[in-house]
Amino acid sequence: MTAATASMRRNQNITRNKLAFQTGPISVGVMLLGLVILLSLLYLNQITKTSVFNYKISNLQNKQSTLETEKQKLQIEAARVQSLAQTKANAINGGLVKTDTVSFVTAR
Amino acid sequence: MQAHFRARWRLYALTSGFALLWCVAIGRLFYVQAVKGGQYASKAATQQSRKFEIPAQRGLVYLQESNGLYPVALNTEVYNLAIDPKFVKDEQKTSSSLSEIINIPAQELKNKLSTKSRYVEINKAVSADKADQIQKLALPGVILQKRASRFYPEGPLFAQILGYVNDDGKGQYGFEQYSDDQLAGNTGQYNTVTDALGIPINSAENRLIEPKNGKNYALTLDRGLQTVAADALKTAIETNKAESGSIIVMEPSTGAIKAMVNYPTYDSNDFRSVKDYALFSNRSVSGLFEPGSGFKAITMAAGLDTGKVTPETKYNDTGEVVVSGKTIRNAENHKFGIQNMTDVVQKSLNTGMVFVLEQLGTNPKLITLASKQVLRDYIEKFGFGKVTGIEQAGEVSSKIKPANTYDIDYANMSFGQGISVNSIQLLAAIGAVANKGTLVKPTIVAGEVNNDQELIPNKPVEVRSVVSPTAAAQTTQMMTQVVEKGSGYLTRMKGYKIAGKTGTAQVPRADGKGYEDNKNIGSFVGFAPADDPKFVMLVRIDYPKVDGFAEKTAVPAFATVAKELFRYYQVPPSGN
Repeated sequence: MTAATASMRRNQNITRNKLAFQTGPISVGVMLLGLVILLSLLYLNQITKTSVFNYKISNLQNKQSTLETEKQKLQIEAARVQSLAQTKANAINGGLVKTDTVSFVTAR
Repeated sequence: MQAHFRARWRLYALTSGFALLWCVAIGRLFYVQAVKGGQYASKAATQQSRKFEIPAQRGLVYLQESNGLYPVALNTEVYNLAIDPKFVKDEQKTSSSLSEIINIPAQELKNKLSTKSRYVEINKAVSADKADQIQKLALPGVILQKRASRFYPEGPLFAQILGYVNDDGKGQYGFEQYSDDQLAGNTGQYNTVTDALGIPINSAENRLIEPKNGKNYALTLDRGLQTVAADALKTAIETNKAESGSIIVMEPSTGAIKAMVNYPTYDSNDFRSVKDYALFSNRSVSGLFEPGSGFKAITMAAGLDTGKVTPETKYNDTGEVVVSGKTIRNAENHKFGIQNMTDVVQKSLNTGMVFVLEQLGTNPKLITLASKQVLRDYIEKFGFGKVTGIEQAGEVSSKIKPANTYDIDYANMSFGQGISVNSIQLLAAIGAVANKGTLVKPTIVAGEVNNDQELIPNKPVEVRSVVSPTAAAQTTQMMTQVVEKGSGYLTRMKGYKIAGKTGTAQVPRADGKGYEDNKNIGSFVGFAPADDPKFVMLVRIDYPKVDGFAEKTAVPAFATVAKELFRYYQVPPSGN
């Protein structure tokens, strides 16, 4: 008799109980439902996040558009203020007169 | 047995019936999906998606100034104001309220409201501030539509060079039309899936094509010089009771136009009120005229370049010369006897020009086919007969008559009659004389401006060498005599050597039969300082109603602008 056979014989009364975990159709259904709900929640969460970001982007785009319009207005105002007609009027109001003669000085 | 058979038959019939129905359904599905699939798909796509156009920003136009770039064409937003009379509840209130804001008589508005049309346009360019006021009134039936527009801070000063942008966003005339494609950019597009109400929804199928904004440009023009030229021109027109005129200033070595003005003009911001559409054209490039004696410098340069004449070449001026049986005389029937070529230019002798033409050919005593061909070649080399390519819409050029045409035609052409040019062609040609014989393409564009407001400069374009530097220098020397001793005396300035040539041209009759009796075009084209030219300038005064030649009509305006140009280029007087 080999050592292994002897060992088997010594332990022949030992029994091993198999864990009784069985899933029936209802359990499977419930689990599937749970999984679907979980995935749906995850999906909804992502969609909501996307919508929030889209809203933020849209807001920023609106702000950008408003700022661009403002920039355009300011550019126009700046150009108007710097226009020759305006400059001439300012010069006259400021008592400035046009010079008729220009002298060139030779650099030494 | 029979009952069993019947039952089976009914079963078969029922099965066949269902099978048939299935076949019909499958057939229909196949028809819808495979045969008509594309059509329905596109129909569905139309219903479930929308395309939004995203307008591109039109490029801006700047001038280069010492403290940076100054915009002369900017973008702005204006509103179309219209009314749908069907929805107007109180005509009196609507017309009086709008009248106060947009300055149109209330009665006029009321009349418009009484029409049956569903869309009555009131004003195409209501400013944003006024549109805001109108919106606050919340008047039923009043429609405000926002759209892009242009604003030109300097108003009339650059009107004919810039042109304008019409209500459809298209560049019209001038630089706006010439560079419309580059300035306009490319419109973007947003293709989006929509819900049942047509409202865009987020979808992976949404596609955005970004708009590409138009290019920005900087011009070579100078505001200060433009104003000086505009004021001088206006004074010249008023003093001479003339109909119109032009002044152009160019740098001969680069072709950069520093000033270009025409009178009368208009305001680009107010283009809708212009009744005479001729005002929109830049006459410096679109108005052909016979240059008259200003052209003598061209013929003489040709003679000098071929070596057939020198400044010292002499001929006998009898006051007239007969060509093809027709007599050509000097202005005011002058005759001076033995004259050299410098005298010919200085005294503006028509007979001398015919003499030069004769020298160009094989027989120096006759106008021959060869002499005509040589002159024609030079005329073309100087850039006549072909548009210069300046960045302006509507540039026109006449054709140069072929060499086998009548001798009298070429005799006339030698002193600037019977040939039509535009102002910019004549300026560029004289610019070639100033630029040691090299023709440079005139340009108003200094370069492109990038998004960092940096200028990417254009390089000057040398077209060709027209005459030798020696011939150019000899022509210049002759032209200085015009100012020192001849008809350009009114532009003489102490310490400055100016080269120029006056021209008083007759105006051809519209019916082609000769010339108008009391009409002329006076011009003066010249450059300075003669030995190192900083500018070349053309002054043209159309149909003056005072007596006198170009020396009285055009030269004084040249002198006024030249004085400012010496300051601008910081050219001190030489003391000679």
